Amino acid sequence: MPRAIEHQHHTGFFVRGPSPAARLLLFSLLSLVLLATDAKLNYLTEVRQGFLALAHPLQLIANAPRNLIQNVGAYFHTQTSVVHENSVLRSQALKHAAELQRYKTLEVENERLRKLLGAAQLSSQPARLAEILHMGRDPFTHKVVVNLGSRQNIVAGQAVIDEVAIIGQVTRVYPFSSEVTLITDKGLSVPVLVERNGLRAIAFGRGHDAMIELPSLPTNVDIRVGDKLITSGIDGIYPTGLAVAEVTHVDTNTDTPFAHIIAKPLAGIENHKQLLLVSIPKVDRPADSNTLQNPDPQQNVASPRNKKAVTPKRHGNN
Amino acid sequence: MATISSKPVYLSLLLALLCQLLPWSGISLILRPEFLLLTILYWTLRAPHLCNIGTAWFAGILMDLISGGLFGQFALAYTLTSYIAVTYQRRLALFDIWQQAGYVFLLLLLAQLTTLIMKVFAGGELFGWQYFLPSITGILLWLFMMLSPFTIVSHSSRN
Repeated sequence: MPRAIEHQHHTGFFVRGPSPAARLLLFSLLSLVLLATDAKLNYLTEVRQGFLALAHPLQLIANAPRNLIQNVGAYFHTQTSVVHENSVLRSQALKHAAELQRYKTLEVENERLRKLLGAAQLSSQPARLAEILHMGRDPFTHKVVVNLGSRQNIVAGQAVIDEVAIIGQVTRVYPFSSEVTLITDKGLSVPVLVERNGLRAIAFGRGHDAMIELPSLPTNVDIRVGDKLITSGIDGIYPTGLAVAEVTHVDTNTDTPFAHIIAKPLAGIENHKQLLLVSIPKVDRPADSNTLQNPDPQQNVASPRNKKAVTPKRHGNN
Repeated sequence: MATISSKPVYLSLLLALLCQLLPWSGISLILRPEFLLLTILYWTLRAPHLCNIGTAWFAGILMDLISGGLFGQFALAYTLTSYIAVTYQRRLALFDIWQQAGYVFLLLLLAQLTTLIMKVFAGGELFGWQYFLPSITGILLWLFMMLSPFTIVSHSSRN
């Protein structure tokens, strides 16, 4: 059996710089300081942005083999012009599909909104088509990295959707790329609405599987398996009425105070490369003054202040 | 055996970084070995005057930057791992391939365990056993590199 590694005898026997223990102490301390700085203060955002801008060429090189394979494959598969046209058409179709989806849910929503709020105005949302660069470095944090960044006027907090449903939210923006946290991530929550009866709730990612859950709802809550959850839009981040998930599991065991509701996200994050970054245009919505002007009892129910509130009045209607 | 110049060390580290940057996804992302840590460990055991705890720390910082997680977790894990590697480096030269592989496997697990502890402290979730799959694929890659006739190691040990 050959020896695997023969170490070097050329480096002087005694002198090897500082002792390993001293180096360990120095570098562990440095790491711990960095950890504390990053966890408690947010000084390192610029450092990270700067470095990722520097590392952008490296990233391009790393992506080159995949792109090369894809390009060669596309060339042999079809004519280049057809491929180009196809990609243009696909991006258009994606944009249209997202708008269509919004309109469909808008119709369902419109009547209720008219009754509750008078008139619901939804201005057109600027959307940007982005492409997934890679699925993040850590398989256990539900994040993807897309190819648009602060140079393309992407800001943290924008909602990310595909042609079916919501995917997540832009959480970090780098100069040439940005990080999207998926709705299945443990740290992300989405205010949702049950499409069938308008019940409002907040959906949290479960983290370990690709599911989301609705905690803190009473056991007598009116949610059934197969109910579609859409965004309620009361957070001012997600546009109203986008599909989020479908309820797959409802456990209303009366032993526990809360119902155990699990839903499966409708967006297929693994299936495609393109997604849309949308943002709500900054509009002042004076919800409180609205409430004052309109002394309608139902208005209070709809006000964004009681975010987590389950609207008990609607239970009677259904 | 000639003294190793610093060029192959840094070239291989750059190559490992590129491997780490490849667009992995799905199953391959879960299985992806830690190329950078493997390279660091290899050079730490083989040429500690060229690649030492400082290099490992710097590589860890790079990993932190590209992974986008909590800053410093990889740096700390790599520092600890390379410290243990350096401490027993002279003893390790007497081991055969399989003993070394076992030792390196333990080091890989230690690195992952350190980052896991960091993540849990930072409020992350607990992962299943799949979290440690990169260590297993990592040690398989290590053995493959050690046993394949094309690597520098086998050449030098045959001479």
